[in-house]
Parts: sequence; C-alpha cells; structure tokens
Amino acid sequence: MVVRGQFDTELSRLKNDIMLLGNLVQKAFQDTMEAIKEKNYALLDDIIINDKAINNMELEINEKATLMIAKQQPVASDLRKIIVCLKVSSDLERMGDLSVDMAKAAKRLKDKKELQHFEDELLTIADKAKIMMKLVLVAYKESNVLGAQKIAAMDDEIDKTYSEFIQSIFEVIAVETGITEHVTQLAFISRFIERIADYCTNIAEWIIYEVNGKRFDLN
Amino acid sequence: MVGLQVSTKIEKEKIKTTSESVKKNVVLHTKDLNLWYGENHALKNINLPMLENEVTAIIGPSGCGKSTYIKTLNRMVELAANVKVSGEIIYRGQNIFTKSYRVEELRTRVGMVFQKPNPFPKSIFENVAYGPKIHGIRDKKVLKEIVEKSLRGAAIWEEVKDRLNENAYGLSGGQQQRLCIARCLAIEPDVILMDEPTSALDPKSTLKVEELIRELKENYSIIIVTHNMQQAARISDKTAFFLNGEVVEYDKTDSIFSTPVDSRTEDYITGRFG
Repeated sequence: MVVRGQFDTELSRLKNDIMLLGNLVQKAFQDTMEAIKEKNYALLDDIIINDKAINNMELEINEKATLMIAKQQPVASDLRKIIVCLKVSSDLERMGDLSVDMAKAAKRLKDKKELQHFEDELLTIADKAKIMMKLVLVAYKESNVLGAQKIAAMDDEIDKTYSEFIQSIFEVIAVETGITEHVTQLAFISRFIERIADYCTNIAEWIIYEVNGKRFDLN
Repeated sequence: MVGLQVSTKIEKEKIKTTSESVKKNVVLHTKDLNLWYGENHALKNINLPMLENEVTAIIGPSGCGKSTYIKTLNRMVELAANVKVSGEIIYRGQNIFTKSYRVEELRTRVGMVFQKPNPFPKSIFENVAYGPKIHGIRDKKVLKEIVEKSLRGAAIWEEVKDRLNENAYGLSGGQQQRLCIARCLAIEPDVILMDEPTSALDPKSTLKVEELIRELKENYSIIIVTHNMQQAARISDKTAFFLNGEVVEYDKTDSIFSTPVDSRTEDYITGRFG
C-alpha cells in the first residue's frame, strides 16, 4: 500500500470532490423544486446563475483525473476508479443542467393559472428522484454494488409515474382550453425530472463497473 | 481457493487455445514444469501454452522465477550448477528435455535477447554474420543478404547501412539492442525470448524496440520478460503473472490489465507490492 500511497490519497481527494459536486447538484435540484412549490422566482434565477459553479467544478475534476492518468498510469481497478470519476462527474454536471432547464421552464409558469393538482403530482415525482439522487451518491461514496442495484427499481417506478403524469396531462388538454402552454411547461419539467432519474441510474451502472469491471444496463 | 481459481483459468486457456489453433498453433507448451536450484524450488508446476505469432509477456516481482522460466525454454538454465528439472516443454511437438533432443538445434530455433545489449567487439556486419558463419555459411553474397535482411528485420538497416564495417560498440544503447535482435534473427529462429530487452534503454529507444517487437510477431513468436507493466500492456497478447515460482494468472493481456481474476495480480499490476 505504501508504494501507491500518493495515488490512493489523490484518488480519495478526487472522490471527495465528486461528493462535493454531488452536493451542489442535489441542492440545485432541491432548490428548484422548492422554488416551483413556493413560486419563488428569485430563487429560480439563482439556480440558473449558480450552475456555473457546478460546471467549473466538473472541469476541475476532469483536469485532476487527466493528470492522475498521465502521471500515475493506473491499470485495472485503479484505472476504472478514475474513469468512473470522469463519468460520474459528467452525469452530475448534466443533472445540474437539467435543474437549470427546469428553472427556466418554471419561470414561464409565472402569472399562469394554477393547476395545483398537476403541480402536486410533479412534486411527488421529484421527491422520489431526490431520494434516488441521495442514495446513488451514498452508494458511489461507499462503492456499494447492492445499493447501486436498488437504484434500478426506483428508476422503474419514476418512469411509470412519469408516463401516468403525461397521460393525465393529455387527457386534461383534450377537454380543457387555455391551459396548453402551462401544462406543456409542466410536462417539460416532469421530463427533466425523469431524465435526472436516468442519470442516477447511469451513475449506479458506473458504480457496478468500478467494482466489478462489468457494464450492466440497469435501464 | 485461489490456487483452484488459477488452475481453472489455465484450463480455460487450454480450451481457448484449442479453439484458436485453427489460426494459431501452440509453439511452446509447458506442462507441469518444476525446477530446482539445489534445494531451492524455483519453478512450481508451471503450465503455459505459448501461441504462434503472439507476444507473451511474463511479469512478476524480482526473484519470482520469470528469468529462470524463459531460460528453461531454450535450456540455457542448465548452464547453472545443480539444476534439476521435471515436467515437459513441448516445442513443435517434441519434448525438449528428452535425451535425444539436440540442445544446439533448440537454441537455433529459440533465440534469445538479453537485458543489456551485448554485441561482440566486432564490426556491425560481423556481429550479424557470426551466427550464420558458425552454421557453416561461407558464401559472402549469401552472408551479405542475411545481414541486410536481419538488420532490416530489426529496423536498424537505414541507420547502419553505410557503416557496416564500424565497430558495434560505436552504436548507441538502443541501436546495440536492435543489433542484438538482428543477430538473433540472422540464425532464423522460430521463437525469440527477450529478458527485459529495454530496461537499459532510454524511452525513445524503448519505443523503437517495442514497435519492432510488434512487427516481429508477424513472423515469430515472442516471449518477453518485463518489469515495465505499461510495456507488457502495450505490446503483448497474453500475460502470465509469476509469483514465488508459480503462475498466479495467465490470460489475455487486455483481461489481465483491466479485470484480473486474482487479487495478487491486481495488487502487483497496480503497484501495491513488488
């Protein structure tokens, strides 16, 4: 262990950086949903501005990982761990972008007629995705394959709820006029939440790859 | 448990070897090889197939038996005192340990390149022509042809064609090593054994020799002992990991360096011991 002490220290720091990135992404998602719930448009603007910090952090992680590959020339599980750092940070950055997309869509809801029933349903899907994000970050931190496998089942549930949500939107559009733009934005937001859940599943797949060296399609 | 894993892996390889044999024959097949230096049991139950036109890398920490093993493949190991061997090494269908087997013939067919370039204190031309001359070739035209072909084969012809009569010691380390490879090629071997052939070379010369090894495998089967993990990963098709005189793992190089089965292999290639 002594020989690769420096590598192990750097790897552990890199993983800590990813956990910090994960926390930022998690906060952006939580804030977005909170802002939608409370109709806090100032907070939505903050989310859009703060995404820059997430993007910069991903770039920093990329640079550190690239340097580690160049300087330490890792193989086998060491190489996989670094590759997974790159993949997970990229997936997290995309999740950050989706929060921005949601914030932008939510801003378009301003001054629109309230559709409380749909908004409540949306928040329910988001709550499931929030749990998924939290659990996948814990599984990544602990390199926990069992934890990663559980994520797949949660993704299936979100996919199902999302489909039902879209179906109910279609049904309402068919009978009610003047709400098309509003429900379209809600449909977008639900789609972004569903994509966040997909990225969580991607990360779960990378956890399995990191540990076993095998790729599993959990989707 | 781990030992069982290893033997299963090797059995699997034997099966793979059979299925691959349509294209690739087993050139050198080591079966249940044991070797002792006096009381020291240096090689233990080695079972390894070496395939034609492939590069097989032997890796492992110092003292694990890898140099002893490749020296056994052309019976050079017998030059040491008190060596006892059991098991078989089948080269092209014949056990090299049978009494009737001609060692000189074996060493012609199974050539060797050493860690430190060791040209003779002769001209570049004479270094390469030495082997063929020993084998009775006297015709100057034929010798010239062999020297050019061998130097071309070792990717050094362009650098030395105008100075063939100069002393080989005037060449750089990397050039000397390629000259030694040319000297090995001059006797038209079938298998080339290389014992850390680039450990005394600078990075540029190392890459040249590696490139050469990749080219040579089109016509030869190559077994290389190396301490350089990246080198083994770059140039070999199969890798065998030796530890304490045993083969811990043998597999496709891609598998060894991405998902080794045995944790000792993983620890070694990731630099956690050795």
